[in-house]
Amino acid sequence: MFRRLLIANRGEVAVRVARACRDLGISPVGVASESDFGARWLEAMDEVVCLGPSASRESYLRMDRVVQAALQTNCAALHPGWGFLSENPRFAALCEQHGVTFVGPPSSAMEVMGRKAPAKAAMRAAGVPVIPGSIGLLSSVDEALACAREAGYPVILKADAGGGGRGMRKCFDDAELRAAFVQASAEAESAFGSGALYLEKYLEGGRHIEVQVMADRFGNCVHVGERECSVQRNHQKLVEESPSPVIDAATREHIGAIAVRAARSIGYVGAGTVEFLRADDGSIYFMEMNTRLQVEHGVSELTSGLDLVKLQLHVAANGRLPLAQSGIQLAGSAIEVRINAEDPAQNFRPSPGTLAAFEFPRELGPGTIRVDTHMQAGDSVSPHYDSLIAKVIAHAPTRAEAIETLLRCLRKARVEGVSTTLPLHLAVLDSQAFRAGEYDTRSIPGWPVPAR
Amino acid sequence: MSREILYLRVRTEGEHVVLESPSVGLFTEAAAAGIALVAEAKAGVLTTLGRAYELRVPEGVAGLVDGVLHERVQAPVGFGTALYRLRPLAGALYDSEDAKSKSPSDGALVFRAPSAGRFWHRSAPGEPALVSVGDVLEAGRAVGLIEVMKTFTLVHYQPAGGLPPRARVVRIVPTDGAEIAEKAPLLELAPA
Repeated sequence: MFRRLLIANRGEVAVRVARACRDLGISPVGVASESDFGARWLEAMDEVVCLGPSASRESYLRMDRVVQAALQTNCAALHPGWGFLSENPRFAALCEQHGVTFVGPPSSAMEVMGRKAPAKAAMRAAGVPVIPGSIGLLSSVDEALACAREAGYPVILKADAGGGGRGMRKCFDDAELRAAFVQASAEAESAFGSGALYLEKYLEGGRHIEVQVMADRFGNCVHVGERECSVQRNHQKLVEESPSPVIDAATREHIGAIAVRAARSIGYVGAGTVEFLRADDGSIYFMEMNTRLQVEHGVSELTSGLDLVKLQLHVAANGRLPLAQSGIQLAGSAIEVRINAEDPAQNFRPSPGTLAAFEFPRELGPGTIRVDTHMQAGDSVSPHYDSLIAKVIAHAPTRAEAIETLLRCLRKARVEGVSTTLPLHLAVLDSQAFRAGEYDTRSIPGWPVPAR
Repeated sequence: MSREILYLRVRTEGEHVVLESPSVGLFTEAAAAGIALVAEAKAGVLTTLGRAYELRVPEGVAGLVDGVLHERVQAPVGFGTALYRLRPLAGALYDSEDAKSKSPSDGALVFRAPSAGRFWHRSAPGEPALVSVGDVLEAGRAVGLIEVMKTFTLVHYQPAGGLPPRARVVRIVPTDGAEIAEKAPLLELAPA
């Protein structure tokens, strides 16, 4: 096992990784921007290297400084956390080039999954179901028309280099597709420097189902069940749960096997998540693979009893997976809410400030509560970075009990000094739609809250 | 081979100036205690992932190295790590007898060259002169460049050795590009 490890991240995930390091006898080394330097959560580290000014691009995103920090503190390995540099294949390669083990997949696997068309092509080749549409990029409008007729309208044109909804056009027939093809290509060319387009059948709504996988360097790969993350706002997940209320045991086995096949086909190593869209008719399609630990990993840890971060470190240090698929037993229901310093009454405007109170009672039952956070009362929520301040996860034998456990905790929680998403979570958990498990990505069940 | 340049960060601590590392890396070739560090002076090398950056003193700083805070060769430092503590230059370079500056001519105040070299009025050919007769100087104002062995160093006005905090330029003594000796008169001044 590694003696020292650099945690190339901040906040909650940095604390989470440091905890796993301690459990394994690894000395954690932290990094910080100028404004984070001295923050309380850095007490979890044995040493901290200041990287640069507050702006992420001058500190947490500076690959050369991060790798140099690992080298000069004698770290044999580096955990990238999530966000920042965690899915950057150039960064993973830079670590390896300097003899620092990157806790994550090989850069080649990140490269494949990092762009939409190659990822989709690789998955199709591996026999993973993908949303019907073009195979790779479109070379002409005629090809687009042929693909659209085969997939069935409506279809959506997407820019290969696009993101955040830009460079996307919905088309309902041939005439609209002809017109949109030229425009979307020109738009993508000017916005992203590449006019490359691909086409997919347009599926409205649906549910976001993802499968946690874990692979070692010896070809062993297992899945740890699914998580449902359909409660979203602007593609940001708010509530995550496992198991999903719409996935039965047979489907779980089926999508688990698909996720493992997807990971194996690209030589995946470590923790990863294969995201699927479950259409209203029950069909499952591959969307993308996140080549890193995810924010909501704790949900799967509670249902499986595994420590995914410790497993990540174990396989990164050339360890074999200690268990086979048959050894993974999922039990009970886990539900997580993300407490963000945002004001849901003000259109989720960020709400930095100082926490006057920050308490989540854990003993109100009927199930158990886990709180993952890097903050406590008196700490400041930085205006420079994302607004996640805590994740509260309930675990109980049944879904109804998990909801009740989480509601009891959140109703008695004391979070003062900043506005948070707590009221939203209370509304979601208490809503009929959520309790019934009838919700999708289009709207937030139980929200908006009636005016107070 | 020219190295990429990084400027040190500046923080003041009472009358002292602290120069901090601008990046993460291994610090070496530190300037020794007692050396004067002024704008554009070389102040060590920082190596990040095998690439060496030359550390320089930024504009507006002048002082004597009081203590080098990381004397070990290849000392690992982070962004903001203190590398030097400087004590003010006043009373050092400018406190010598002739710098007490009772003039070549009648009673004028004289600002003198900190080192020998070639004196330039402008920061680059085609640029306007850094100062003109009639300008009012305050501490730190760049008044010219001294070229020594192809290295150009900005000369900053220092109200030391009897010179007032604000002074008006009466005459620029050397012509543009003239050879000058250390402590040669550069500017004749009047209190402003």
